[in-house]
Amino acid sequence: MKFNYAAPVTLEELSELKKGGGKLFSGGTDLFVKMRAGVLKPDLVVDTKKVETPKLECDKGLRIYMNTTYTDILKSGCARKYSLLMKILLEVGSPQIRNRGTPVGNLGNASPAGDFLLSTYVYDSKVIVGPSMREVPVKNFVKGPGKVDLSDEEFIYAVILEPLEGYTTYYEKVGRRNSMVISIASIAVALKIESGVIEDARIAYGSVGPTVVRFTDLEEKLIGERPKKELFESLAMEYSDRVKPITDVRASAEYRKKLTGNLLIKAYLNMNL
Amino acid sequence: MIAIKISFKLNGKWVEADVEPYKRALDFLRDDMGMTSVKEGCSEGECGACTIIVNGRNVHSCLMLAVELDGKDVWTLEGIIESGETYISEAYADVGAVQCGFCTPGFIVSTKVLLDENPNPKEEDIKKALEGNICRCTGYARIIEAVKEAARRKRGDAS
Repeated sequence: MKFNYAAPVTLEELSELKKGGGKLFSGGTDLFVKMRAGVLKPDLVVDTKKVETPKLECDKGLRIYMNTTYTDILKSGCARKYSLLMKILLEVGSPQIRNRGTPVGNLGNASPAGDFLLSTYVYDSKVIVGPSMREVPVKNFVKGPGKVDLSDEEFIYAVILEPLEGYTTYYEKVGRRNSMVISIASIAVALKIESGVIEDARIAYGSVGPTVVRFTDLEEKLIGERPKKELFESLAMEYSDRVKPITDVRASAEYRKKLTGNLLIKAYLNMNL
Repeated sequence: MIAIKISFKLNGKWVEADVEPYKRALDFLRDDMGMTSVKEGCSEGECGACTIIVNGRNVHSCLMLAVELDGKDVWTLEGIIESGETYISEAYADVGAVQCGFCTPGFIVSTKVLLDENPNPKEEDIKKALEGNICRCTGYARIIEAVKEAARRKRGDAS
């Protein structure tokens, strides 16, 4: 397979090249796999790494920029208080993938199994879209599997995660082995409990629908309640009923539905509320 | 397609080359630079046989273009051995962590990155550091033992 390579240094050039049909990449851990499999056959690949951007900013939420790798975040001191994010990033791929792959790329790829993508739903993240630098909430940005709200000349410049202060969190990815696996289902939970009562609840699932899913009406059922096992058991059944997973090579839809409820119960039991 | 001139440090020495824009770092290092320790396994970032070190971090050369090596500090197993850092490969041989050997260069490269950062890794650290390298022969027990032995040798502990 033959293709051309460009490495622009400004965001304007980057935008022009994308508009002309170039495929953007930073780490290449998704693009080159797809090209190898023949799913994508671009005439031009556009390396974003020559564009100078900050790596991370931690003062107003956590800002992750286009060329920031998973390893950059895991090694950064200031991102450490985003403990749920750290747990999730440690489970991404392998050292080799984390050293090259980027959260912004994972977002752009918009796989319902995307590990970083799952975290963005719990952190109520916003996507900064260049070149205009408009801001879009992640749940509006992701339209479906591999589909995002970007026009031809637009690209993801950064993503902002809002901090979760005083939350208890849980994350689990179910797959055939721990590393390098594409999840059968995954869950991320963040609960804020004040004086024994649930004040805020965020529950996101990966791989059980066309995108990462959160059901705010179900989350609201927890608010004002004491965290009792029976409460989570009945909510687990509602989640199992609500999700619409598919059957694929990794698991059946029925299995994923069952797993959806069980993961919530497991999260409750492991959070020691 | 016009070849692109790159200049980078390969195993401690600056080299220059003209590379096609679509050539993978893996093919360039093996075929043009003669670094045959860099193995082609799965070609999709799963197996780690093509692992190299770029600016101190281990990466898959199958998911990287040769042009991306420009300006970088690149190490393959050849350079690690030539520079006298043989304690890892010797520990692998002495412990019996090598069977067919196809995955071994990738494992040694990932082991070097681990031990340069953490000279006293716990078993969990070793498993985490090697999770991107697959071995279909050994069952990993000897490999983990070899990394522990290499760590002891690097620290200068008697084994």
